[in-house]
Amino acid sequence: MESMLRLEGVHKSFGDLHVLRGVNLEVARGGVVCVIGPSGSGKSTLLRCLNLLEPPDDGRIYLEGVEITGRDRRGVDFVRRRVGMVFQQFNLFPHMSALQNVALAQRTVLDRPEPQAREKSVELLTRVGLADKADEYPERLSGGQQQRVAIARALAMDPHVMLFDEVTSALDPELVKEVLDVLRGLAAEGMTMVVVTHEMGFARDVADRVAFIDEGVVVEEGEARALLDDPREERTKRFLGAVLDH
Amino acid sequence: MDIFFEQYFDLDIMRDNFSYVLEGFWMTVQIALVAGALSLVWGLVLALLRAAPGRPMKPLRGLAITYIDVFRGIPLLLVILLIDGSLPVLDIFPQWLRAPDFLGKPEIFWYGVMAITLTYGAYYAEVYRAGLDAVPYGQMEAARSLGMSHARAMRHVIVPQAIRKVIPPMLNDFIALMKDTSLVGVIALVEVVKAGREIQAETFNSSALTVGALMFIIVTVPLARLVDRLIARQQLALRRAAP
Repeated sequence: MESMLRLEGVHKSFGDLHVLRGVNLEVARGGVVCVIGPSGSGKSTLLRCLNLLEPPDDGRIYLEGVEITGRDRRGVDFVRRRVGMVFQQFNLFPHMSALQNVALAQRTVLDRPEPQAREKSVELLTRVGLADKADEYPERLSGGQQQRVAIARALAMDPHVMLFDEVTSALDPELVKEVLDVLRGLAAEGMTMVVVTHEMGFARDVADRVAFIDEGVVVEEGEARALLDDPREERTKRFLGAVLDH
Repeated sequence: MDIFFEQYFDLDIMRDNFSYVLEGFWMTVQIALVAGALSLVWGLVLALLRAAPGRPMKPLRGLAITYIDVFRGIPLLLVILLIDGSLPVLDIFPQWLRAPDFLGKPEIFWYGVMAITLTYGAYYAEVYRAGLDAVPYGQMEAARSLGMSHARAMRHVIVPQAIRKVIPPMLNDFIALMKDTSLVGVIALVEVVKAGREIQAETFNSSALTVGALMFIIVTVPLARLVDRLIARQQLALRRAAP
């Protein structure tokens, strides 16, 4: 199995708060890893370390075999051109239409000419089911639609890996499915994905592997169904008991 | 009571000197527009320097902060006098700066514009800063995670949003700037207040100054109402956006 991402002993602190305490994790090319765990366990920080929004304090991260930690600033460009990220709060640019949101970084970062950027944007908006909303501004879109635009925006950069940070947590329940369906489609096409989520059903159906994180370390990692149905660690059992209990 | 109206509202004096005062007011408007536009640009430059990220930019941030502190701390009148009194002889500066004559305007016009720009640039920088701070941090993160540099993210994502937020306070400051142009009168530029004072000195009557005051009010009151409406609109948009 070829490794897309590998983390070795990653640490991250914010002041006195030691959030990540030596995370080890491996993500295979084309693999889908769901990261689960209690709130405050460090799941989001882990994702943010993966694309260097938060540079790790210690440890090593390899992307496609290349180490991206350390002092080299070119590391950031290397990473951001290969890693796409979608946020819980969508973070669409409110002063731009859906199409402009998807096209902006294509134009400014990849230097794609306007017609090509536009064509690609329309294609991606169509893929997430929003071709008819291309000229709408974010405030006119529902949460689910905004999140799908955000996914299209990240995909427009042709990422090798996609990071999803609780992308359905800010959505009304009836809007969750339309976003998860897009993720399912991506997984089926072989996109490498790291998905922080509370959607255990999604993790069971779509993920190859699940990592349970608590107090800044990976407590347990394994094949998705096996881990969710028959966890080995006591802490994992307790967490799954609590989330599946309602 | 008659003496009061005679002193401030002598219709004959007002009528006779209206066109002279209006000429002065036109000068005021020109200074305000040119200095206002330059202050907008200079203030943005200062605000962006102040927001420049990372350790290598620290000296620039420090310079910007010092500049803003200094020019917010000294009176505009003093800056005007400092420039007018000494800039012409400072031969370390090029001639076009020491004796500017752009747009066919006299040197003192440009000295006034410079002083106002230096001072109001500092005020505007602080207004921009509030606007930049008001853009949610997630916007910068989203832009950065798409591979945009800090500068690109600022230009395409953060600054356009910040500017929308600061238009009302900018207009408020513009009203203040416009009134402060009267200080340029001390360096012999005939703007509206100086024009009124000349008439006052000739006639021992303040009615020409009253005319000037009315001209200010005709411009600034609608501006103030516009600011109110823009703020009301923003409030409405905020309430609509809240879940």
